[in-house]
Amino acid sequence: MLTEKRNLGWHVLLILIILAIMLPVLFMISNSFKTLQESYHSILQLIPAKPTLTNYVTLNKQINLFRMVANTFLMAMIVTLGKVLTGLLAAYAFQNFHFKGKRVVYFIFVATIFVPFTTVMIPNYLVIAKMNLLNNVIGVALPQMCDATGIMLFVKAMEKIPTSLVESAKIDGIPNRKIFMNLIVPLLKPNIISVGAIFFINSWNEYVWPTLVLKDKNSFTLPLALQNYISSEGGTNFPLAMALAVIMIVPPLLIYMVFQKYILNSISSSGLK
Amino acid sequence: MLNNNSQIEEEINSRSGPRESRKPRGRLLPFLYLLPSALLLFVFMIVPIGYTFYLSFFNWNLIAPTKEFVGLQNYINVFTDPTNQKVILNTLVYIILLVALNFILPYFISLIVNFFIGKMKGPYKILFFIPSLFSLVVGAMLFSWILNPVSGPLALFLRDFGLKVPQWTNSGAMAIVVICLITNWKVFGYNFILLLTGLGAVPKNILDAAALDGIPKWRVIWNIVLPLNKGVAIYVLILTIVEGLQYVFTPINVITQGGPYYGSSNLLYHTYLNAFVLYKTGNASALATVTFVIFLILLFVEIKFVEGRKQNAD
Repeated sequence: MLTEKRNLGWHVLLILIILAIMLPVLFMISNSFKTLQESYHSILQLIPAKPTLTNYVTLNKQINLFRMVANTFLMAMIVTLGKVLTGLLAAYAFQNFHFKGKRVVYFIFVATIFVPFTTVMIPNYLVIAKMNLLNNVIGVALPQMCDATGIMLFVKAMEKIPTSLVESAKIDGIPNRKIFMNLIVPLLKPNIISVGAIFFINSWNEYVWPTLVLKDKNSFTLPLALQNYISSEGGTNFPLAMALAVIMIVPPLLIYMVFQKYILNSISSSGLK
Repeated sequence: MLNNNSQIEEEINSRSGPRESRKPRGRLLPFLYLLPSALLLFVFMIVPIGYTFYLSFFNWNLIAPTKEFVGLQNYINVFTDPTNQKVILNTLVYIILLVALNFILPYFISLIVNFFIGKMKGPYKILFFIPSLFSLVVGAMLFSWILNPVSGPLALFLRDFGLKVPQWTNSGAMAIVVICLITNWKVFGYNFILLLTGLGAVPKNILDAAALDGIPKWRVIWNIVLPLNKGVAIYVLILTIVEGLQYVFTPINVITQGGPYYGSSNLLYHTYLNAFVLYKTGNASALATVTFVIFLILLFVEIKFVEGRKQNAD
């Protein structure tokens, strides 16, 4: 009985944390359906009195919304496919081949996760500029694809596949290409989905590389467009900015709703060695 | 059992090994699989690290055809220039705040959820994680709305009590706190899940035995659970610093641009400012190299503790 009561106190604390985390998001969604005046006068009213789509219409007039969604989607898709594919291939090499210096090479690969973006930012900018890929979706995607997180997560997943399975396939003379495509990839399907979902969400939200590489408004991704609606002088039209932010959070939320279990499992396993 | 397996493995290796290496293609095959990742890492990571190091010995403006060799001058500047000193000090403040907000706080909450909450772990995990899905630009926008001194909800709420929200963008210290809170909103749930997973791996029977002996829960946590979970905790601690210093870049750039007077800038933002706003490529490269060395040291701390734990577990 006593412990029950104590638990209740902790639950209250945890629910307060959830409110602190989620209320701003809920107010953001609500305000995006209010006019500027209403958002100011009924600032703490969660349900808009007269819901309106004005902000979304205005937004669509001011910027090429469709193009920016397409830019962001295309960039995130290229980054995701690139990282999943290169990550799977490299992880297969590390897990199923024996070659000299394997441990050292793997260590160097994984250690690059710790390199801060500022250390590689200037040369990468120069390379992208030299390749004439500024303001280009490939130019903004390429440096993002250089990330060993996928290799690490896929190696961890492949460690769980019994080695005897792969080895016996090798003894049967099945070529590696087929073992990879017909055995490993199907077995790793849940990991591919979760890692891919995490990669897509991260790239969808990516800010640093797009800021450096995309200067032309037509090539902007959504985070850059949103930044333009936030003024440091305090003159921000918040309902308008919030409408754009709502558009930005919908795809990650949908992905999370569908693959929540896979995503959380993947995050959990990334912390365990 | 383990021995048996490795024996079989060796046997298989010795059988399939020679056959593979007899064909030259077989020996090259692993490198073919590694090639795409290796190429990306080489072009966008390994070479750039070297080139940034090279640039740190020159004066350059990112555009001019010639670079002026200045030896160690840029490194001397990193530690003697008053602005750089201020930025280094700010970086330390950022690290302290990030550790408190993004490591200690989620660790405390994960202990509560793991040891004081019977069921319901699932829903808390799912809900805490949601802001991790959102862009830090969204977070920056939300916090500048909530904390807007004129029209923000907090200002309107406090007005009823005759209180005001200070102009926090005019103070470096206050801006740093808000910027750290923004990253806290985003990574709290992520770190919470990592730490909770680590706590879940602590053997239950140890806790049950301690409970039977009537040892209070907080003592058990302090003396048994925290030492057992040290590996995961240090991993998350290092991650908090390494990723946190990179995460704060976004709210800094969106809200303060490092101001007022570099008051909310840090090593990473100042590198960006030198490189792409002030066009002092040499200064930026020296700052970037110093940051790289600091992160490298953190990486070795991680290896020493976390990988060491792995070997013990084996």
